Amino acid sequence: MNAAMPTPLADLPPGLVWRADSFAHVTEKTWPTGYAALDAELPGGGWPGGAITELLADTPGIGSIELLLPMLRRAPVERWIAWVAPPCLPYAPALADAGLALSQLILIDPPQHSALVWATRQATASGACHAVMAWVHKIDMAALRRLQLAAEASATPLFLYRPLAAASQPSPACLRLQLTPEENAIGISILKRRGPASARTLHLPLRKRYPARNPHALDSPDTARPALASLHARRG
Amino acid sequence: MAGALAIAPDLQLKDRDRSAEHSTLIQLATWAGCCTPCVSLDPPDALALEVSRCLRLFGGLGALVDKLRCGAMRLGLDIRLAAAPTPLAARWLARVRPDTFISAAPRWWRCLDHLPVGLLTEGTTVSQATLELLHGIGMRTLGDIARLPRNGLAHRAATSVLQALELARGERPDPRPWHVAPPRFDSRLALPAPVSTTEPLLFASRRLVAELTGWLGAQHAGVDRYELHLEHGDTPESVLHITTGQPGRDEERFVMLLREQLALFKLRAPVEALRLSADTPVIRAGRTPDMFGDVEQARDAASLLLERLRARLGHDAVRGVRPWPEHRPERAWRTAEPGTARTPHPDKQPLRPVWLLVEPRPLASVGSLTLLSGPERIESGWWDGADVRRDYYVARAPRAGRWWIFQRLDPPGGWYVHGYFG
Repeated sequence: MNAAMPTPLADLPPGLVWRADSFAHVTEKTWPTGYAALDAELPGGGWPGGAITELLADTPGIGSIELLLPMLRRAPVERWIAWVAPPCLPYAPALADAGLALSQLILIDPPQHSALVWATRQATASGACHAVMAWVHKIDMAALRRLQLAAEASATPLFLYRPLAAASQPSPACLRLQLTPEENAIGISILKRRGPASARTLHLPLRKRYPARNPHALDSPDTARPALASLHARRG
Repeated sequence: MAGALAIAPDLQLKDRDRSAEHSTLIQLATWAGCCTPCVSLDPPDALALEVSRCLRLFGGLGALVDKLRCGAMRLGLDIRLAAAPTPLAARWLARVRPDTFISAAPRWWRCLDHLPVGLLTEGTTVSQATLELLHGIGMRTLGDIARLPRNGLAHRAATSVLQALELARGERPDPRPWHVAPPRFDSRLALPAPVSTTEPLLFASRRLVAELTGWLGAQHAGVDRYELHLEHGDTPESVLHITTGQPGRDEERFVMLLREQLALFKLRAPVEALRLSADTPVIRAGRTPDMFGDVEQARDAASLLLERLRARLGHDAVRGVRPWPEHRPERAWRTAEPGTARTPHPDKQPLRPVWLLVEPRPLASVGSLTLLSGPERIESGWWDGADVRRDYYVARAPRAGRWWIFQRLDPPGGWYVHGYFG
């Protein structure tokens, strides 16, 4: 009787059978994101160690860097953190304040788009980077595949920041997150991961505590202006 | 030659260039310095390498032979190798029995007995007339001569033959001057035909790079810059300056940097010859493998990446940043050489955005923004004409994250975005 009993799927060795409601069995190294709620949603419990992660957002300043900070802070001394074609100037005082070792940052400004993909690939394939972050607007499938291969071969996590419109384009990236700004938080919808589709949006609180507003300052800039103007008048 | 011309009338004849042959021999001797410090020229076409003391270093004769073969192939040369306890015996073997490797066993010279007698003029003072004399009395192999009575040979004015045999057997000392590598590397390679694309140039320059690394290996040194001169014939030569981040002698790295530079290089005219030159070798000890991890290797990969990116994108396209003690935000940072920026002690820093706009962006209206923090007054710079008086706020923009905005307090006033929080 017992012999006829079907073996429960859960008793099978991991990786033998993939069940559609569980994460794929991840063999590669992953990097914990530093956010428990996000780790729980990612296969392997963190950023994939040798693959492309796409972060889709239209504006800077919504917490897309802060999302990576816990991982970037763990960079070993002899490895770079490469920023390829960042949209604005990464501001040294803020980065130092965030706990990054500035000596490990390299900023790469490729003069044209083909050089951007080339530089991203070189940085990824070299194995000399703890992480590569690249801001790309338009990139075709072939280039994405090459980047994915480079990331796999060197076990380097590659983070591609792309516009929201790229969500409709197919991509070989194994993890695609859509980032949306929220009040004191960042909203993350997982568009693609190795595992069941995720319907819910995560809300990660941003760590930064702002200094309290000056009680003498007024609530809205519009009302602040006359107050400041009168201050100037007194000084004048 | 007449026969060859009869078969192929279009044959192009070129004169034998003995000086080119000699300089090739010197090139090979310079390169071979990376295998043993004792290299001796044996003109016109042989090199004697004393390897008994470095066999252990390279893991035996077989490994050393492989290394020599690979090296010669990269230099574009086809070599024949043989080993024997004396240089003369080795040379004879290389001539007629290549790939014979004899070690010093008792009575090892018996192996020489089967060699043809014609070899006696090779690398010795034996004259052609003496050789004809030996032929005349029916001598065919060296063993035949060894069996002749010595007195009779010496009597027939053939002492040179006895001397040669004694040298070959090691019964008479055979001191040789060692080849001394030039203090400055300069090697030229004439191309068989003028070349106007960069791809063949890279292929040809590999040969020069292989020679350079051999020269460096012989001196236990490395270079951090070298030059490739492209000779165009009539017009002045073009020079490519290749700089590496740190002194090294890694052939693959040299070739890789050369490839990036050549890919960007616009040839002005067809190239007829290449010349590679390097000064200033820096003494650099070999590396001891580390039992725990590969920190040194990772550091090497890091500097290699930097060199590669800079070779293609330009030096200034790859940089680091560091903070600068200054109150005006746009001046509170400087570019830095990657890897050198020191992170300041985390003291009580005012809140700063991850992204800074180099040019503050004017804001038409601030009505839709919610102020989160501020104001922070920054007033500085009256002494250098770029003085600022600003009140900074952290503001949340609807559906666009958090901005670092300021209000200009000097006329004409107005609100600006100066950065984005990451």
